[in-house]
Amino acid sequence: MRAPVTKILLGFVLALVVTMCAPLASAQTAPAAFGPSAQSQAAPPAFSGPAPHAAPLQAKGPFGSLLTWIAQTQQTMQRKLAATVKDLKSGNALVAGFWLAWGSFVYGIVHAAGPGHGKAIISSYVLANEETVRRGILISFLAAAVQGLMAVALVGVLVIAINGTGFQVNAWVAHLETASYALVFVVGFLLLVSALRRLWRRWTAAGSGHSYDAHAHAHAHAHAHAHAHHHHDHRHEDCEACGHIVDVRDIAGPMSWKKVLAVVFAVGIRPCSGAVLVLIFALAQGLFWAGVAATFAMAFGTAITVSVLATLALGSRQLALAADGQNASWVEAVWTVCAIGGALLVMTIGLLLFLTSLGPARPF
Amino acid sequence: MPNWSLNGPQIVLIIALIGSLASGLPKGADAHPHVWATVRSEVVFGPENKITGIKQAWTFDEFYSAMAVQGLDANGDGVYTKEELEELAKVNVDSLQEFDYFTFVREAGDESFLPLKGPEDYWVEYGDTVLTLHFTLPLKTPIDPGAKGVTIDVYDPSFFVAFGFAEKNPVTVGGMAPGCTAKVDAPDAESAEAAKALSEAFFSQLGANSNYGSQFAQTALVKCEPR
Repeated sequence: MRAPVTKILLGFVLALVVTMCAPLASAQTAPAAFGPSAQSQAAPPAFSGPAPHAAPLQAKGPFGSLLTWIAQTQQTMQRKLAATVKDLKSGNALVAGFWLAWGSFVYGIVHAAGPGHGKAIISSYVLANEETVRRGILISFLAAAVQGLMAVALVGVLVIAINGTGFQVNAWVAHLETASYALVFVVGFLLLVSALRRLWRRWTAAGSGHSYDAHAHAHAHAHAHAHAHHHHDHRHEDCEACGHIVDVRDIAGPMSWKKVLAVVFAVGIRPCSGAVLVLIFALAQGLFWAGVAATFAMAFGTAITVSVLATLALGSRQLALAADGQNASWVEAVWTVCAIGGALLVMTIGLLLFLTSLGPARPF
Repeated sequence: MPNWSLNGPQIVLIIALIGSLASGLPKGADAHPHVWATVRSEVVFGPENKITGIKQAWTFDEFYSAMAVQGLDANGDGVYTKEELEELAKVNVDSLQEFDYFTFVREAGDESFLPLKGPEDYWVEYGDTVLTLHFTLPLKTPIDPGAKGVTIDVYDPSFFVAFGFAEKNPVTVGGMAPGCTAKVDAPDAESAEAAKALSEAFFSQLGANSNYGSQFAQTALVKCEPR
């Protein structure tokens, strides 16, 4: 069972590497597609005239070069996106359209590599629940899709329908963020309550002389392999194996669409602020459809990054379980730590972000 | 009761698992930039080679610029006049107060920042798809930088806004200041101060008052030769 998981993981890492490297190569071979940035004009002697060209960002500290690289990559990509949207009007629309989709996709991957976008929340959530890799990826993609839809809906209503100002858009993004973080906290709290309730039930059952302990050692091995593919179409032979033993799914709670949609909605109602910016810029250039296309290409990119991280979280849990898969109490301990720790993390993240979002309004 | 005793490797694994969970914690509010600003600063000198204030011109990226001016072209002529953008300028500088104008002035080597007065002469201009915010920050008490110097850091601690100096003329000396120079102080990755900034940044990442952005601080150093 671990083989397909490894393959999926490897596939994602490969896809990530390829997509990150490709634009670097293509940017050199196809400079016409992106064109020079509008900001790359000579600086004026004083504070007047055309826009200044920024010097490359530099970060200090031991990780300075890495941080510098991440920040510069994001900046370069954002400028290329802007230039590409403009190219749609003046240049070859087909070529520019392709680059816009590709550029947005890669931008989404890199952009999501920084904190935010529900990565930590989704990773913790799948860790706390008995989610398969497939479920983790599904949740990541659904959340990204909802974020993209929210961005399009927000800009569509506020900007196109009522010609609102940037202030109004900003304020709405801020409200939705606050609501999203509050919901994340609630989801985490519910996860914790259900994990603790299940744990309590198991402990009291164990205390009343339930005999699963005797069976545990015989079947623990089969069980450790079974978690990786628990879902609705759970195969019968696995159940036979795990039916008698420590049923760790009791700790995590069963998988349900209600729970999945709760976390997707909690994370997703906050529109991706990067997408909102691209949409408004595209709209200002008279190319709203290009912004919509870019938004979904970007959401696809962020979904991939989040999926990889959620998969990594599940992989590390799998690794921990495999460390002593024969030992039922080890398996149970890992599951308990994941279920309660993951729920606590979701709560903490939600709370911290919620409190932060109540802070003073951002000037920009 | 299940047997809960754990052996060494198991404990190590649990710790590793918790560690990998913790690494997923949010790094401050938004530790990746959503707005990019290109900074040009003019150090304004008054009499006796004393710095009286900092004149800032921040040019924003095209995406943020489009967002900021959205809906502000009141007469719909496609031109954003200074009047049409007056409210935007006011909102910007008003809300900047909460963030200390992202401008941190101190005597070189000092810990504490020199107090600034509220911004004067502020306005925004929009042209060629980019927006530039202009404002002047007067120092409460003018200061002679002397040979030791005064440093001016421009950064957003939460790194929501990524400030970077302009490639050409990032910092200039304004007014009559013979013997005074202003230049960008390039970050020194090896410096003790940089290491300290990083460790501070690391520990403050978890809270609301993230200082992640200080690693990207753009520092200008102003010095005057003794007269």
